[in-house]
Amino acid sequence: MNIIVLIKQVVDVELNIRVKDGALVEDGLNYVISSWDEIAIETALQIVESVGDGEVTLVTIGPDQAAEALRKGLAMGAHKAIHVSDAGFDGSDSFAYAKAFAKILGDRDCDLIIAGKQAQDTDAGLTAGMLAEFMDLPQATNVTKLGQIAADKLTLHRGGDNGSEVIELSLPAVLTVNDSLYEARLASLRGIMQAKKKPLETLDLAGSGVDAATVGIAGRQTVIDQLVEPEARQAGQKFEGDEEETTKQVLDLLVNEAKIFA
Amino acid sequence: MTKILVVAEVKDSEIKKPTLELLSYANSLSLETDAVLIGDGVSGQADVLAGYGAKKVYVADDPSLGLYSTSAYTSVVADAASQSGASQIWLTSSETGKDLTPRIAARLGVGAITDITKLEVNGDNIKASRPAMATKVIQECSFTQGGVRVLSVRGGALDVIPADAASADAVSLSIPEKDLRAAIKEVVSEAGGEIDLNEANIIVSVGRGVKGPEGVDLVKPLAQAIGAGFGASRAVCDAGWMPHSSQVGQTGKVVAPAVYFAIGISGAIQHLAGMSGSKLIVAVNKDPDAPIFKVADYGIVGDLFKVVPILIEEVQKIKG
Repeated sequence: MNIIVLIKQVVDVELNIRVKDGALVEDGLNYVISSWDEIAIETALQIVESVGDGEVTLVTIGPDQAAEALRKGLAMGAHKAIHVSDAGFDGSDSFAYAKAFAKILGDRDCDLIIAGKQAQDTDAGLTAGMLAEFMDLPQATNVTKLGQIAADKLTLHRGGDNGSEVIELSLPAVLTVNDSLYEARLASLRGIMQAKKKPLETLDLAGSGVDAATVGIAGRQTVIDQLVEPEARQAGQKFEGDEEETTKQVLDLLVNEAKIFA
Repeated sequence: MTKILVVAEVKDSEIKKPTLELLSYANSLSLETDAVLIGDGVSGQADVLAGYGAKKVYVADDPSLGLYSTSAYTSVVADAASQSGASQIWLTSSETGKDLTPRIAARLGVGAITDITKLEVNGDNIKASRPAMATKVIQECSFTQGGVRVLSVRGGALDVIPADAASADAVSLSIPEKDLRAAIKEVVSEAGGEIDLNEANIIVSVGRGVKGPEGVDLVKPLAQAIGAGFGASRAVCDAGWMPHSSQVGQTGKVVAPAVYFAIGISGAIQHLAGMSGSKLIVAVNKDPDAPIFKVADYGIVGDLFKVVPILIEEVQKIKG
């Protein structure tokens, strides 16, 4: 069972994020593996461990520093990594990245492609589904539970609108994972040492085989024109003291001011 | 020429509210609009879509489409898009919409913008605002090339404008073959018969402050008394006190009801990202410094085990 995990290094959204002149203020930002992608790595490791053979390969397209994210995934237990890094990708949107991944993964021997349900920085949730379509693979997104795992088939649950959709998925296929699926393991010290020796292949645009016209500004279909800060919600009224009294005060406002039961 | 195709969603033989929001918005802009209706026994809903302004309704009604399937639904929408000649395809950012949107866009060879909370449409020029980074920033996005515009809009972002009765100009679509590579076996409902969080006008959610399943049982009658959807924070779902399908937050359901009651929820970023679009927020928490109070319109600093029974009693009186 050979599994490819798509990972993305993103801005740590737990920290303070500021916007100036339509862009992020870089000062003070920290970069981490998108948390759903850590779950994707965990999922791949669990499947390989369950089947008893196979390899987990991490793939990212990103700047030089994204190698840190790959090393971290290798320390968790992934077997090898591919880092595609080139300024030519700058400005790409999900469509361009999905096209690029389809090209990069097209010739590789792989039974399963796994990604997080969305990246924590854009929250767009497009790349994996587009990739599945470009590669003509079946997909299951927002996977919340794995059932039977076989070399050619997975039974799984996906979080759907009306409950858990139980799907029998033939491999090869594309999965995106929800964070209720697993908790990502922490890298052990031994894992961190071993990760330094694991193969990490670095490719530039030409080496990746991706046509330069299909990525970056030329290849994208959508653009983020600017970032703005969300309108801050005004903190409203706070009621402290005897619960009997405060609860009735708030209820009165809900009924007479907000008219929520009208 | 600008023409919209709205991908309709149905639950329990009714068109879902976010679909009506899309149609209402297109109609309010006097945009020519068609709809595509997919499911089992859904044909009767075509008139509802027509009432909300759909000129033509493309219908794929078949037992094989009763459960959502990526492959079959993608084929049906692509077929409808081609027959209608739509220049834009609008979906809702439900779990179905999230699965379907990238697939349809890729099939048509175009990009997509998802989870939009503010949409400006000028012909086929789109200016879309969408929250990102756990709602810490808003991205203003647009399309850069020609081709069909594929987009999804978050439920609650637009208003429903009441419809007139109408009868649909319905067109039957052919039914795609069953996808054997991703076979949908069944849908296991974890919270059967309850109000869908994406649909709910009012939501009552519980956090770690309820302390356990007994606390959940204490608050649930409040949701029932109000007629509200019943949600939870991630901590509550991870602890197994409520099913994961109830989780509100960046990683669960993103909701924007008229009123959101946060009961015993401290207000982690992850949770705020899922509910800060609510029109009115009411919070109950015993910690006066809980972050939830920074977004709450009305905050009660106090013991939820005292507050909730009073709320239930008073709401029952009001509702008579």
